[in-house]
Amino acid sequence: MQPHKYPLAGLYAAGKSPTFGSQLIVTTEKLDTQQAVELAEGVEIRLRVAGPMLRAGAYALDLLIRGVVMIVASIGMGLLGIAIGQRLVTGALLLAWFLLEWFYPVLFEAGKRGATPGKRILGLRVVQATGSPITAGQAIVRNFLRWVDGMPFFTYGCGMASCLATRRFQRLGDLAAGTVVIYERVTPSPALAAPPPITPVPLPVGLSADETRALVRFRERAGLWSAARREEIADQASALSGASGAPGVSRLMAMAHWVQDKKQSAGAGGRNGDRPNKK
Amino acid sequence: MTVGDFEDKNKQRWAEYERLVEAMERGRPGPEAGQLPRRFRELCVDLALAQSRMYGERLTDRLNAQVIRGYEMLYRNRRAGWEKFAEFVAVGFPQALRREWRLLWLCNAVFWLPFVAVMVSAHFDLQWVQAILGSDGMAAMDRMYGGREDQIAHLREEYGSNFMMFCHYIRNNVGIDFRTFAGGMAAGLGSLFFLLFNGIYMGAAAGYVNHAGNPEAFWTFVSGHAPFELLGMVVAGMAGMRLGLALLRPGRLPRVRALAEAARQALPLILGAALMTGLAAVVEGFWSAQLLPSGLKYGVGIAGWVLLIAYFSLAGRRVGDASR
Repeated sequence: MQPHKYPLAGLYAAGKSPTFGSQLIVTTEKLDTQQAVELAEGVEIRLRVAGPMLRAGAYALDLLIRGVVMIVASIGMGLLGIAIGQRLVTGALLLAWFLLEWFYPVLFEAGKRGATPGKRILGLRVVQATGSPITAGQAIVRNFLRWVDGMPFFTYGCGMASCLATRRFQRLGDLAAGTVVIYERVTPSPALAAPPPITPVPLPVGLSADETRALVRFRERAGLWSAARREEIADQASALSGASGAPGVSRLMAMAHWVQDKKQSAGAGGRNGDRPNKK
Repeated sequence: MTVGDFEDKNKQRWAEYERLVEAMERGRPGPEAGQLPRRFRELCVDLALAQSRMYGERLTDRLNAQVIRGYEMLYRNRRAGWEKFAEFVAVGFPQALRREWRLLWLCNAVFWLPFVAVMVSAHFDLQWVQAILGSDGMAAMDRMYGGREDQIAHLREEYGSNFMMFCHYIRNNVGIDFRTFAGGMAAGLGSLFFLLFNGIYMGAAAGYVNHAGNPEAFWTFVSGHAPFELLGMVVAGMAGMRLGLALLRPGRLPRVRALAEAARQALPLILGAALMTGLAAVVEGFWSAQLLPSGLKYGVGIAGWVLLIAYFSLAGRRVGDASR
């Protein structure tokens, strides 16, 4: 998992404008692979979408679990069959096979955890594109369409192609149901800030929220990179800092420092300073 | 206010919130669970503040994860109960069928026209039917409907056979319904293929038995479950075609959005199709192979057709649109 590859991409990349998700406006996150979704509560949450490899692993685990269940059931029912007749037992096994094939993922994903056992083991979860838990109907649609995703010959070629062609790694069933598979727990990304410069430098131009965030993240993670890598990244934003190389890095740091300083002191007593949700 | 101040100030509330969410996740909400919505909204405000004040990723990531946890607990869907199921059968499904009346006619035509054409062709020239069934298919038909007496009933004599066949029909036929639905994702071609293929093959089977076998054994066996099974398949084809048409003709929506909308509309159709096919499996498993007078079996078959057509056209008419 390499989540934050291009921390300054937002400074210069012309991202797409907000596009319509299934119900709410879902903005495309330009800084990294996280998906920003705005909740009715007015706050933006970030979902980390899971890629096809991990999902293939979860599918393999589910296949294994179902296989073991079928084998154990066959042995148990085979013994029972001596008592009640082989035909009844064969029928029950056929029924179990049908249910495991079509309804195993539906029942688990429509349940409280929103994940099949395999997905749970790997820390995944199915949610609506808006971040809320999926409905039973959505679980049915996404899993009944699994058959097309599995084409051709159960290689999951169609599903893989669809995953790679969509921004949120959605297979065809996901597209029809309006669902995404996300990491249930987002592990915090490593951050190690470089020492702050002594004098903050005001921003020469106004930046958008995304761009400001990219700047601040650059500062927060600068400690993780070598000096050369830092300069390489800072050079992408030399239009902003007006310098390249090491002076460019420290100028960007100073600007990030200024931004955080200003925002936080405004937060302490300014317009939106006091806690709005006092008891 | 620095990050540390902000955290110190709110630490206690966050811990309280985490305790509440955890209790919910474990399925044991305590008496104070009613506080969760308020705590959740407070946390949302904290997250928004942390984001706008640039408190850094360590804090925003943590709050973000906590907000997601609460969101998933609070916005959980209620389980659908039996009333919902009864409403679906009495109102939702027949209404959905009538809303898609064009597809109903189309899919019926795609299935029945080749069925009748191939069946009738057997009277004039058996070669078509022979080519479709192949030698294995013809041998199988001979085994079941070839002789004078009722061979199917003989095959079912061992104890538990009816139940076994019922389970087999569920797995096989309902599985075909689901594949027919999924095949709609190939711009409807998959659904059309299944309908067309089954129409041709079943027509050939019927034509072959009419010509070379014991038609009475065949028609008395299939009459009971045919209406539910065949119309169930047609309805599954409708559900698939709904998806396919959304891809072909998305209208003014983007294709992905049109697809999601179509899937929502197709859902009652595929569920209804599965129910009908399940019902057909019950009839086929426990009724169709019984040794009973032919007249009674034909009567039951006709009653099934009449009931289904009445259900399709009349049920749920007086109730408002259930899908709204």
